[in-house]
This record gives sequence, structure tokens and C-alpha cells, in this order.
Amino acid sequence: MSSFYSKKDLRFQLFQNNPVLTLSQYSYFKDHGKETYEMILDAADKIANASLLPYLSEMDRKEPVLENGKIRLHPAMKKILRQFGEGGWINAPYTYEEGGQQIPQVIQLAAGFIFQAANYSTSVFPFLTSGAANLIRTFGSKTLIDNFTPKMYSGEWQGTMALTEPDAGSSLTDLSTQATPTGEEGVYQIKGQKIYISCGDHDACTNVVHLLLARIKGAPAGTKGISLFVVPQKRLPDLRSNDVLTEGIYHKMGYKGAPIAHLMFGSHDNCLGYLVGEPHKGLSYMFQMMNEARIGVGMNATAIGTAAYQASLAYAKERPQGRKVGEKDPARPQELIIAHADVKRMLLFQKSIVEGSLSLILYCAYLSDLVHVQKGQEREASRTLLDLLTPIAKSYPSEMCCLTTSAAVQVLGGAGYTTDFPAEQYYREARIHPIHEGTTGIHGLDLLGRKVIIQDGMGFTLLMKAVGSTIREANVHESLKRYTEVLSHYQELSQKVTLKLVEKARENPEEFLADATLYLEFLSIFTLAWQWLRQGISLKEAKENGQIGEAFYLGKMTTLEYFYEYELVKMKALAEKLTSSHFPTIKMKAEWF
Amino acid sequence: MKILVCITHVPDTTSKIQFTDNNTKFDKTGVQFIIGPYDDYALARAVELRDQTGGELTVLNVGEAETEPTLRKALAIGADKAIRVNAFPKDAYFVALQIAHYAKEGAYDLILMGRESIDFNGGMVHGMVGELLGMPSISPVMKLDIEGQSAKMAREIEGGKEYIEVDLPFIAGCQEPIAEWKIPNMRGIMSARTKPLDVVETISDETFSQVNAFQLPPAKGAVQLIDKDNVEELVRLLKNEAKIL
Ligand SMILES: Cc1cc2nc3c(=O)[nH]c(=O)nc-3n(C[C@H](O)[C@H](O)[C@H](O)COP(=O)(O)OP(=O)(O)OC[C@H]3O[C@@H](n4cnc5c(N)ncnc54)[C@H](O)[C@@H]3O)c2cc1C
Repeated sequence: MSSFYSKKDLRFQLFQNNPVLTLSQYSYFKDHGKETYEMILDAADKIANASLLPYLSEMDRKEPVLENGKIRLHPAMKKILRQFGEGGWINAPYTYEEGGQQIPQVIQLAAGFIFQAANYSTSVFPFLTSGAANLIRTFGSKTLIDNFTPKMYSGEWQGTMALTEPDAGSSLTDLSTQATPTGEEGVYQIKGQKIYISCGDHDACTNVVHLLLARIKGAPAGTKGISLFVVPQKRLPDLRSNDVLTEGIYHKMGYKGAPIAHLMFGSHDNCLGYLVGEPHKGLSYMFQMMNEARIGVGMNATAIGTAAYQASLAYAKERPQGRKVGEKDPARPQELIIAHADVKRMLLFQKSIVEGSLSLILYCAYLSDLVHVQKGQEREASRTLLDLLTPIAKSYPSEMCCLTTSAAVQVLGGAGYTTDFPAEQYYREARIHPIHEGTTGIHGLDLLGRKVIIQDGMGFTLLMKAVGSTIREANVHESLKRYTEVLSHYQELSQKVTLKLVEKARENPEEFLADATLYLEFLSIFTLAWQWLRQGISLKEAKENGQIGEAFYLGKMTTLEYFYEYELVKMKALAEKLTSSHFPTIKMKAEWF
Repeated sequence: MKILVCITHVPDTTSKIQFTDNNTKFDKTGVQFIIGPYDDYALARAVELRDQTGGELTVLNVGEAETEPTLRKALAIGADKAIRVNAFPKDAYFVALQIAHYAKEGAYDLILMGRESIDFNGGMVHGMVGELLGMPSISPVMKLDIEGQSAKMAREIEGGKEYIEVDLPFIAGCQEPIAEWKIPNMRGIMSARTKPLDVVETISDETFSQVNAFQLPPAKGAVQLIDKDNVEELVRLLKNEAKIL
């Protein structure tokens, strides 16, 4: 099998294209440097190759089963989870005092990228545990932290996020799981059901710790009445059952190695949950952790897209078919398909999206590290820009990698549609990302309805400033001027369209938000074009310093050109729709379909 | 027990190899470096033996400053200290001379290294070190156990295995499956930063050979898929294009 990601590009993105190495100037990260980061990436690569990649197709074909109320995983999963735990991967970003290593998020995410590209299913388990433990350590009491996090960090216990219910998916406001006080402080009886809970139950761990959203009896309606609880599958200290039943397992379209479960809490009125933080603050706690999780989802999509791109690239370099346009002699040997412009178009499309997305996501993760260590106004600025970029970093790679993995299938032709090659699996695995952690529709609403307008549009202004300074930097390089001119033009267009939409916010909220998803796409393309220009500058510098070779440089520079010629222009059509006064989507009625 | 593991600093096995200066110099631009894969096996077994028997594990590399990250990787995997002999590894004899000199002073019970490096593939250094130190040198060793002052090992030979027993100290050139490669954990990676890495100077500049030029193998041709029933086409291609019939 070909390589499933480019080591060279990952290093370029981390060390030349993003100022990750400057993080060590902050005392929290002072013990780190390139050498440590290289070792971490190297170790991740070894785990991915030795333990994850070998099970990629097997886990797809032998999906988990529910037997006697317990979900049975592929047998390799147990060892893999231990490896993540004992390797220190689950709590790596946390403090030394907590047993972590104070690793920057951006490095943790880059290592995650390697795992996800190798075998996405396997990476879901530690990712969830880490997120759940993070909620406990940030908002939970010392007792909760001491009781639950050590075994989560070691990979012995699985963490989950238990939010979704049959009547509450995108709209968590409507969730109905109930928490009744027991009389003991912080301890509640939980009753309700949750669906689609990733890793909600399985046999590769000895306990499952659900971070569950529920309403305390008598709590106000709506989002303000939702609280966060730790609900273990087995109760401490003796690990007896806590009345959490696995009602069912769903058969998914992709990443079948990681199960999603339908769970019943308190069917026998004997399920205890422990309140995390204060009552009624559950949703706000969740949302404070969401940036990282959402950037993480963008990264998952990018990683799967990367693996599909690499697989299709390898195929295109080996498959002879057809002859160059104009070559009429059938006696001439066939060309490799990579010689055809249309095949190169499909490869460039994939490369432009996955490498552009990687650049954006690592930039966001770097901002998230800054938020962790900066102070005052600086920190506020980083946070506001990160908040604005998060729906973009989550949704654009997610949506686009459905298309790039489809292009990967297309590069392989008939072979791509068969299970003899991994392209079709990547295509199925990519499809989840526009759905979970908030659908694209919901992120569109979040971006236009909230992020763009709050704080008098501060987030949007910060993005425009960042783009402006990239344009100025790029203008130093003669060969980049062609792109700075184009980007300046689209920057103006972005401002015009945004202003026009925002003006509508008050007078006609329905029209204002009707095309929020299109606006998300519009601003995402602009953001990626900015990221590609950032890469252009970094490429020039890295080339001058002898840090990258000629082929790498030319390959990426041509991809930058591709993005500007083929993708950026799509903003024009979107702008036209976004500023049009016709709304067939509002006009259309259910009965007319 | 004192163990010395000698490691090479070699291009990642997926690197694209290119030469510059009229094919006399390896082009390092954009190349990732790793611990030589066979040395990595030696190191993995050495960590296990050190953990079993106690004692100290030192890793050594003959190389310029750029090899230090590779030595740190070995420290992350579990070595206690690292030595860099500050010189470009000119040829096998030059490297063996430095190792033998350093090892003599350190009085090691066991000196392990890979059966060969994957850049020059000479497979000679362990033999030369044995000769220079007057110790037995065995390679390729695929199994190694220490019992008191002697070692039992299995060596790969043409068509089978050979089981050997020698007294300590000795030198072994290692290969799989002597141990599974070890992947450093986060704690190991962080502690590698503060473990000692000493730089020592060379004792002699003597070499036996010099490289005049390198040459890459011819580029691999494309794979052609032929229908399984179309034997005639296969024969035609093997005859006319591959020219092996
Ligand atoms: C594989 C998988 C893993 C999952 N893992 C977890 C997990 O670990 N924990 C967990 O809690 N949940 C999990 N989920 C659930 C997931 O988060 C939800 O499916 C998702 O939030 C969407 O909710 P829904 O399925 O109810 O869809 P709905 O909310 O019914 O959405 C259906 C469609 O309507 C649109 N829509 C909904 N509301 C609006 C609106 N106000 N305006 C415009 N459009 C709207 C949506 O965009 C979507 O296109 C998982 C789901 C899957 C498939």
C-alpha cells in the first residue's frame, strides 16, 4: 500500500507554514521544541503503521456486534486502546501535575491526523475519551477528577459524549433526559435515552464514562435548563452495574470499527449521575470545549481525504490507459493515466482541498494554543478569530472531503467502485463529518447568525485584518502578486456580501439566514484561498532556506494556482445568489414537492 | 550490565534518494532521518535486557551534529545516555575504529548494532569492531538471551538457523525478530530532553576507502494489467517489452 499521508507536507505545515515552534516562548510550552515534536510525530507514524493501518479494511468488513447486551469489537481494538493509553496520547496536552506532558494542541492534532489517516475508526476511541476527560478536569470537582480521569487517561475506561436523543439532535434545547436529586449533594437519578452514542459500549474497556446532558427536575425550559453529568456504565467503587443498558447498535455507512449505540439510562430507576460543575450550565460547558472538538472533526475529514488522495495518486502513477490527445498511433504504448489533464485535475482538486484544509486546521489549533497561554486583549483577539474560524474549519473540510474522496474513487475508475481498493471505503468514511458535531446547516447558522455579527463583527474584522497582512507579506514576492490581486478583489467581495446580508438581519431574519449554508461555503472558499496564499509565502521562504526540494515546491505552487483558478472563482456564483432578492427556498411549500 | 548500542542515522525508508555535485553527494533536502531499522531492533532488545538485568544502556553514533535528534529518539525509546563521536562517518573502518576506541574505555559487557545500515549496507562494522577489540562478533543475530556471563543466540544462516553460545563480552549485529521495535511514549519523549548526550572527538582520521560517485537504479516502469485469460498478450509483452523470454 502507498503511504497514507505526506510526512513532508505535515512537517512543512507545522514548522514552516505555522509558527508552532514559537510556542515554546510561553512558559507552559517551554520544555518543547522541534526535537520533541519530531519524536511525537515519528512515534505516531510508527503506531499508525504497525497497529492501525493493518486493520483498515478488516474493521470495515467485520463490524462490531451486540451480543448479550454487550458490544463486541474487533479483537485488535483492546491492544490498540492500551497502546494509546500507555503511550500517554490521551492526556498529552494536560499539565505535568495531571500526568500529561503539556503538549500543544497543534501537535496533538497533527499526531491525531496520522492516526485518522491510517484508520479513522481506531482514532475515534481515544479522541472521545480525551474530550470527555477534558470536561471533567475543567469543570468537575476534585472527587470526580480523582475518581474518573486516571483510568480514562490509561485507556482502560472509555469516555463518551451523550447528547443526542430521538427528539433532540440539532436542537439540544428539546432534550428530555431527566435528573432527579437523590438527597446526596451532586448525585442524581438519571432517566432517559440517548441515541447514536459513539463508543457508548464495548468490550475493549472495563468501564464507560458518559458525559451526559440532562434536565434537572424543575429546571427552566430551553438551553438554560440543561446540566452536565458524569454517568458511568459501572458504579464506583465496586464496579457494579449502574443501570445503563445497551438497547441497540446501529449499522453505519462507514468507519464501522467504531460502534454507535442506543443507550437506556435508568430503566430500573437505579442509574446514578454526578453533576459536573454547577446546575443548568451543561450546554455552556459543552460549548466551551466545542472549538477543539469541531476543529478535530475538520481534521478527521482532512485526514480521510488525505488518505484517499494518496491512494488515488499512487494508482494514477501505475495505471496505463489511453493515449495523449492527438496521439493516433495504436501501436504506441498507453500513457499512465496521470498524464491526462482531467486526471491531474481530479488529483489537484483533492490536493488543493486537503492541503489547504490542513493549513487552516493547524492554524486554528495554533490559535487555540495561544488562547491557552496568552493574556488580556491578545488572548481575546485570538479567541474571537478562532471562534469565527471554527465553523469553517469544521464544515468546509467535512463537506469538501465528501467530494474529494469521490474524486479519488473516480481516479480509479471501475477499480474505485470495488472493495479491492480502499477508495470506496474512504468515500463512505468521509460522509459522517458534515453530520456530527453539528450539521453543516447548523454551522451555517452559527457563522452568519452569530459569529459574524457578535461583538460588532469583531471576528470578521479580525479575519479581514489577518488576510490583509498576508496580502502585504505576499506582495514582497513578485510571483505571488498575481494571487494577492485576486485575493484583494475577493476580500472586497466578501465584505460587500457580508454587509448586505447583515443589513437584512433585523428587517427580515428569515431571508437573512435562508442561505446561511451558502454563506458558510462562500466565506470558507475565501478562507482557504487565504491559507493557500500563506502557504505560498512559506513555500518561497522554505525554498530559499533549502528546507524543501524543487518538486515539493513546484507541486504546491501549482496547487495554489489550481485553487485560485478553479475553486476561488466559485465565490462569484455564490455572491450572486447571496445578494439576490429571490428566495425559492422560502417560497416553496411542503405540499408542492 | 553495561550495554552499548551503536546506531546509524539514515534516510527514512520512504525518502526519495537524489544526489548532487555530479553524483558525489547525497542530497539531504527535505529528507527525514531515522534510526537505522536494524539498529532499532538492536536497541529494542537492549532496552529489554537492561530492564531485565539492571545496569546501563548507552547509545552511540558516529556523526555530525545533525544526528543528535536521532540519538534523542534512542533516549526516548529507553537508552540512559548517548554519545556522539563528532565526525562524518567516512567509511566502515573509520566508524569501527571510533566505536572500538570508545567501547574499550567503557568496558561494555555487550555491544549491539544492526546487521547493516540501510544507507551503505556494508554490514562490516560489527566484524571490524570485534577484530579491533579482540572479541567475538556474531551476525545476523535474530534471538538473544543472557544467562549470567554467557549469551545464547540464534543466527540466520542460508536455509535455516544456527544456535550459538558465547561468553560476555561480545558484539552482535542484530535483525528481526530479536525484539519488536519500541515506540517511545510521551513520558519517554519528554525525558529524552534531559538525559545526557555527550560529544566526543575522533581518535583517528584513518579510512580504507573513499566514494567516487553514486548511481541510482534505473526508474521502475509502469505496471501493466493484463486480462488473466489473455496469455498471448502476456507472452508478447514478456518477449518484446520486458525482453525476459
Ligand atoms: C456516526 C454518528 C456518530 C454520532 N456520535 C454521537 C455521539 O457520540 N454523541 C451524541 O450525542 N451524538 C452523536 N451523534 C448524533 C449527531 O450529533 C446528530 O445526528 C446530529 O447532531 C444531527 O442530529 P439529528 O440526527 O437529530 O438530525 P436533525 O437534527 O434531525 O437534522 C436533520 C436535518 O435537518 C437540518 N436541520 C435541523 N435543524 C435545523 C434548523 N434549525 N435549521 C436548519 N436546518 C436544520 C439539519 O442540518 C439536517 O440536515 C452521532 C451521529 C452519527 C451518525
